[in-house]
Order: sequence, then C-alpha cells, then structure tokens
Amino acid sequence: MAGNIILTLAFVLAVFSMLMYSFSFRGVKNTLNFGRLSFHLTAMLVIVASTLLMYSILTHQYQYGYIYNYSSDELPVGLLMSTFWAGQEGSFLLWVLFAVIIGIILQSYSAKREGLEPSVMAVYSLVLSFLLFMVSPLLKSPFNFIWMEEIFIESTKINPAFFNLPFLQGHLFSDPSSGQGFVKMSKELYASLQSAGISINEFIINGKGLNPLLQNFWMQIHPPVLFAGFALAAVPFTFAIAALLKNDYKDWVRQSFPWVLAAGAVLGLGIMLGGYWAYGVLGWGGYWAWDPVENSSLVPWVVIAAVVHTMIVQRKSQDRGEGVGRFAKTNLILSILAFILVLYSTFLTRSGILGDSSVHSFVDPGTIIYLFLIILVATFLLLGSGLIVYRWKYLSSQTKYDDNLLSRELSLFTSAVVLGASALIIFFGTSAPIFGVGVEISFYDEMHIPLAIIMGLLNGLSLMLKWKENSGEEIFKKLRLALILSVSVTLLTVVIASVYDIVMILLAFSAYFSIFTNGEIALKIMKGNKKMLGSYMAHIGIAIFILGVIGSAVYSDEVELDLVKGEKQDALGYTVEFVGYQPIENNTKYAFNVDVKKGNSSYRVKPVMYISSFNQSLMREPDILEGFLNDVYISPIGYDDGTSHAGHGEKEVSLTPGKETEAEGVKILYAEFIRPDMGVMASGGDFQMGAKLSVKGYGTAKTVDLVLKKEGEAINYIPVELKEENLRIILKQIDPMSKKADIVITKLSGSMADVHEHKEVLSISASVKPFVSLVWIGTAVFVIGFFVSMFRRLEEAG
Amino acid sequence: MKNKYIFGGIIVTVFLSLMIYLFTQSNIQYESDFAKVIEKERTVKATGSWVKEKHYELDKVNRTFSFYMKDEKGQEMKVVCNGTIPNNFESATSVVVTGEYKNGYFHAKEILTKCPSKYEGEKVKSAVVM
Repeated sequence: MAGNIILTLAFVLAVFSMLMYSFSFRGVKNTLNFGRLSFHLTAMLVIVASTLLMYSILTHQYQYGYIYNYSSDELPVGLLMSTFWAGQEGSFLLWVLFAVIIGIILQSYSAKREGLEPSVMAVYSLVLSFLLFMVSPLLKSPFNFIWMEEIFIESTKINPAFFNLPFLQGHLFSDPSSGQGFVKMSKELYASLQSAGISINEFIINGKGLNPLLQNFWMQIHPPVLFAGFALAAVPFTFAIAALLKNDYKDWVRQSFPWVLAAGAVLGLGIMLGGYWAYGVLGWGGYWAWDPVENSSLVPWVVIAAVVHTMIVQRKSQDRGEGVGRFAKTNLILSILAFILVLYSTFLTRSGILGDSSVHSFVDPGTIIYLFLIILVATFLLLGSGLIVYRWKYLSSQTKYDDNLLSRELSLFTSAVVLGASALIIFFGTSAPIFGVGVEISFYDEMHIPLAIIMGLLNGLSLMLKWKENSGEEIFKKLRLALILSVSVTLLTVVIASVYDIVMILLAFSAYFSIFTNGEIALKIMKGNKKMLGSYMAHIGIAIFILGVIGSAVYSDEVELDLVKGEKQDALGYTVEFVGYQPIENNTKYAFNVDVKKGNSSYRVKPVMYISSFNQSLMREPDILEGFLNDVYISPIGYDDGTSHAGHGEKEVSLTPGKETEAEGVKILYAEFIRPDMGVMASGGDFQMGAKLSVKGYGTAKTVDLVLKKEGEAINYIPVELKEENLRIILKQIDPMSKKADIVITKLSGSMADVHEHKEVLSISASVKPFVSLVWIGTAVFVIGFFVSMFRRLEEAG
Repeated sequence: MKNKYIFGGIIVTVFLSLMIYLFTQSNIQYESDFAKVIEKERTVKATGSWVKEKHYELDKVNRTFSFYMKDEKGQEMKVVCNGTIPNNFESATSVVVTGEYKNGYFHAKEILTKCPSKYEGEKVKSAVVM
C-alpha cells in the first residue's frame, strides 16, 4: 500500500511542480522555490518507491501481483534484481526513476543559466507527470496487490499446509489439458484468508519466475541502458519546447547540444546491447532482425543522429553572427520529434497493437492503457506541432539564408536528410502492421544499402568542405590521399575476399572512404585538441560497423549438421566433432561439447539445451567461437541419445488419392481409397477402411493395403512392413469424407541396428560469420565518439 | 535557401518513391482465416497457433521442418518450411508464417514464433472447477 501512496503523491507533486514552474515563467513571484522544492520531493519519492520495489523483490513479497508474476525464490540475486524491469509496470518505474535522476541534474544545469530554469523545468515536469501517471495505481503500478484482479495461481506456489481449508475448495481449479492445479485468487478469497488470520505472504510461497529467455547477464544491462536513453531523449524536447515558449531561439541550441549527444550515446549503446543479447544468447543467429521492437527504438536514435548534424550548422552560423543561425526550424522540429518517437515506440510495444508482427509478445494491456498511450503520444505531438505552427512566421523571418552547393552547411544538412529518410523508412515499415500490412525484411535491407553508400561518401566529403564556399579543385586536392587509399583497399577486398557484387563493392568503398578521410583528420588532431576528436571517432565507428555488417550479413555461410558422437565431420573449412555432454548449473541444463578444429588449433564450443520448468519447453542457447576475422556460431537443434528412435528419422505425410510421396528413395503412391461398408459402419458393425498404396522402390513395384480395422469395440491400425524397401508404413488417421490419409514412414532395419550401437547424435546449425567483431568494435568506437563530443559541447554550453 | 530545398527535396523524393515502389512490390497482408489463405494461393502472413497434438516433423533428408497450424475457427493446415526448427518453437503461444499455400500445404519462407515474453503473464484459459 505504501508504494502506491508514494507514487500517487509523487504524481501530485510533479503536477504541482509543473504549475509552480509555469507560474514562475509567467512572472508570478515567489513560485520558483515551490517549483524546485516540489520537483525535488517528487524525485525523492520516486527514488523511495523504487527502493521499496527493489526491497520487496529481494524479500519475495508475493502479495504484490507484479512480484509474483515475474520473480521467484530460486533466482540468483543479480537476476532477481533484474525482475524489477521484467514487466511493463516495473520497466515504466525504471524509466521514471531515470527521468527523475536526469531531472535533478537538469534542474541544477538550468538553474546555473540565467532565466532558463522556469521554462525548462515546467516542460520537464509535464513530461514527468505523464510518466508518473502511467505507474499510478489506476494504470500500471507495480505495487498493486495480487488479489485486486482475478488471477490463477499455480497450486505449486501455494503453501500446501492450507490446502484443506474448507473455504479454499470453491477456489480450486484444474486445467484439463495439463492436469495442473490452480487457485483462483480474488478479493473474495483474500477476505476469507484474512478472516482466518492467514497473511497472503504465508499463503503464496513462491513466484512464477522469470522467463528463461530473460535469465542472463544482458537482462541486467540492456533494459536499464535503453530506458536511460529514453529518459535522456526527453531533455532536447524540453529545451526545444522551452525555446518556443520563450520565443528565443539562440541559446537553446548551445544548451541542449550536450544532452542531445548524451541521449544519442546512451540510446545507441542500449540498442546495440540488445543486438548483442539477441546474437549471443537468444540464438536469433544475428544481431538485428528488423523486429518492430528493435525498430521502434532505432527510429528516435536516427532522428537524434540527424539533429546533431544540423545543430552543428546552427551553432557555427551563430558564431559567425548570423542571428539565431541556420536550420533553427529543422533543429526544433527534430528535437521534438525524437521524443515523440520514443513515446510512439512505447505505444507500439506496450499497447499490444503489433501482437502478430513481433517475436516479442505483448499481452493486451486493456483499453484504458491503450487509450492512455494514445493520449500520451497525441498530447506531446499536439504540444510540439502546435507551438511550431504558432511560431512559424516569426521563425521564418529570422532564418533567411542560402547555402552554397559546395559548402559544409549543405553537406551537413544533406546528411540530416539522408538520416531522416532512413528514419522515415523504418517508421513506415514498422507502423504498417497497424493497418494489417507487413513488409518483408528485405524491404529494410534494400532501402538502406543505397542510403548507407550515400552516408559514407557524404561523410568523407563533408569533412573536406569548408564552411560557406569551396572550389572543386581544392576539395579534390584534399581528398586525394584518402581516395587513393580507399580505392586500393577496396581493390584488395575484391581480390582477397572475392567480393564481386557491385553494390557491396560500392558500399565497402564508401565505408573505407569514410574511415580514411576521418582517420586522416583524426591523426592530425591527436597532436592538438583531443576534445575535437568526437565526430571523427563517431564516423569511423559507423564505417567500421558497416564493414562488419557487410561481412557478417552478406558473406555468412550456414550448414546443418548431424554430429555422431566421436565422429569427425568437415564443414565450412573446420573439422567439427561432438564429444559428449555434461550437466551444468545444478543439473538444470546440459552443455554439449563440440570441438572445432582448424589446422593445429582446436577450440571447444558448448551450446546449451534444457527443458525449462517455467514453460515446459526445450530451450536452446548457442555458443560462439568469437574471433576477429570471423565468428563460428554453433546453435543446437536437437539431441538423440540413440536408445529410442521414436520420432527420429521418420517422415509423416498427409496424402489424398492420386498423391505421391517419397521416403528413403522409395516412391509411395496413394492409389485409391479403400471404402468401408457404409451401412455396416453406420450400424456400428465391424468394418475396415484405408489406403491402397503403390510402392516403387529398388525392387519390383507392388501394391499394399494400409488399413484400419474395427473389430468389436477396438479400432486397430495395421502397419505395413516392406522388407525389401526396408520401410514400415503406419496409418495414423484417415478421413472417410475427404479420403485424406496421414501416414508415418520409418526405416525398418536401420533403426534396429542403431538401437544396438547406441549412437548419440547432436544436431546443430553451424555458421561462419566473417567480421562480426567489427560490428561491436564499430559500435564501441562511435559510442565513445558521442561521449567525447558531449564533453566538448558541454564546455561550450556556457 | 533554395539549394537546401532542392537538395533535400531530391533526396526525399527519390527515397520516398523507391520506398513506395518497394512497398507495393513486397507488402504482405496478415490473414488469420486459413480458409482464405488456402483459397488465395498468394503470399500472406498467416497467423494462428501450432497444433501441439500433431507434433512437428524434421525431415532430415530434405531438410524441411513441418507442422500443423490452426486458426481461431479451428481450421487446420499443414506448414512446411525449408530449414530447421526455430528456437523456442515448442513454447510458442502463437505462430506467424510468411509464405503461400500451394499443392495442399503452406510453403513458409519465414516462421515467427511468439513466446510468453517479458510483457506477458501466461493466462489459464480453460480451467474448470475441480
């Protein structure tokens, strides 16, 4: 209960703070201190609420529905802590927590700058109020008690001592398909328990636990970083709205710039951590699947990257004394858009609207949440666009410049446009499922290859352009070295790696060109002011990243192998051998040891498989032999210990008369339907029906009858054994109306021999992915570049 | 000012038209009614659930993976995919397959399995009183 009171109070205080700050902005006296005080109180309350939730998780307070749903006694501390953000409620609270921490920093940042605080903090408190409303008890509070809504609790999670309580009997249920027993928790049952003097925490003794897919190291890192990025994206929005409110467009760019870069760095890092998680643990095979959840957080990041470019121009133009500077409108619009896209991403991923198009699945959160999310997006969209329209005329009168075709200004603007095009494409493709239409993954790939080529070329070129004007000759002179280098390295790539696809050659060339032009300048700077290195690092990072994408996505090789224990197999230039398995993690999982050899070096890779008690299904975890030149990615498919051959090496097909199938080189034709005597069938007498099969194998062609016989009460399916063809055919089902027969074909003697030999077979999917390492190195370099730039711009922020 | 608009305009127009063209070429409808999927015989994204009772089959010779899916009305169809079983297939609560229905079964190019993930608590749908 305390948690809900704290969160409600925090919401009220945030609204109060927003009002006080707006009054202060309007010039009402003695309101600023109230605004500050209530903002800090809000922040403290949110921190207390988060601490309380963490404490309740660590002490297993299953009276909270959220904690019951996502955690359990068995989880180790690190993972237990990560259940804080395993569901919607907690992850919203995490977002709010980052928002208040950033808010405290923003408050002291803006208080130091003349006249900035009231407007900025009024807008920021408004954002915070909306986020806090989301975790209020009315919507998605993690502190709502488990009995508030009806919920089925597995009987294994209930203290067995209470099972024979008389009043419990009416609340017991069972699921006929699984035999699992449940207790239906409700307000009613809670009242009965209370009057019997039983606390809910004695009654529910364990939680449902965390989805095994989330039980790993990255769950502890990726969501917090991503939500910190989301929270940071609100700051540039705040500065832009505040500037529009004040109708003053000069200082906000300088003040907002370090925050834009911080948001870009953190959000970018968060996104790629998710990519690494998908690649290394979830076994998606790649780091990026253009999944709506990934896409929706990528779009705001791309917009942030775009605004960085045009903000540089506005800053430079201001320094030259050109009033508010160029691209003032563009910067306002993009800063506002980035945050609205973060909210839109929340809408897409939390409303259940993309239910059918994502690997991430979402429960329908209910109409109220759905409506609130729409209101959330609409409010900020209207606020932003309304203010822009309102100030449009004035803004236009302030910004009247033309840019020379060959100027740094225009090339930076073009970069922003290209990034904008990318954002638009991803936005479009991701939103399409709302209207019942989907796009194929190739849509994103095909659209981004030309964009990436332009980006690389532009990136190299723009650095050589001076502000204002340039002559073509001069530019060529500066680019000569980089051009010669990138042409030669591209040629080397073509020859050594046999890359013959012209599009890929162009893409590689543009990436090399970007690396060499940036590298050349970066080397010069190294001797001077290192703070200026940021943008060059970020660009080199992106270029390295693109090279990694070319290698790993376009030139990856994959095979599926059945590895018999102790037998070596050659695949993809390696010798692979399955050498056995051992139980790990208290016998809950199995690690399958695969030796991968190349030349004289041998490595052991250990993919993991286990049956999860959470959802009773087989979980598979890949293992990767990581190297600079390439990764060997081993993903387990299945394991057969050789003792039972049920379901192995068999083939199941559905046939209708006239249709043919093939198994082990033998052709089996469903020649005709063996009709039962309808009269006998209807009167309940004995009958037989089935399929007449024509079998054509190595020997002579023959005809066999595959039938089911009804004799008395029993229905017998009579299998057919074909000695010569070494096959057994079993009838599983036959429908007298459609005449469709489901048959299973297995090998006869092969399987018998296997039983004696006890061959252990591990099936894996193995792939070699060249230069995946560059994807991670590139990401690291560009994130560091963003931070370096952030510190530089922080110094300039006045 | 002019240069800016001409430049930006050209890029945006080119990519917008490219996008619209590609979209009209590659857009796929979602379809949750299998009767229509079977009738249409064109590429769709069919949504439904895996018929667990009928298991699945891995044909090691032809390297195909096949299983049965059913829609909300209970209409079933066989799905065959070139390749192997997707990870977490067994725990899937629902399946989205992209491909087309031909010669008596659904040829899937892509299988998307949805698992009870972080934003979902499993619900018991068919519980009965003991």
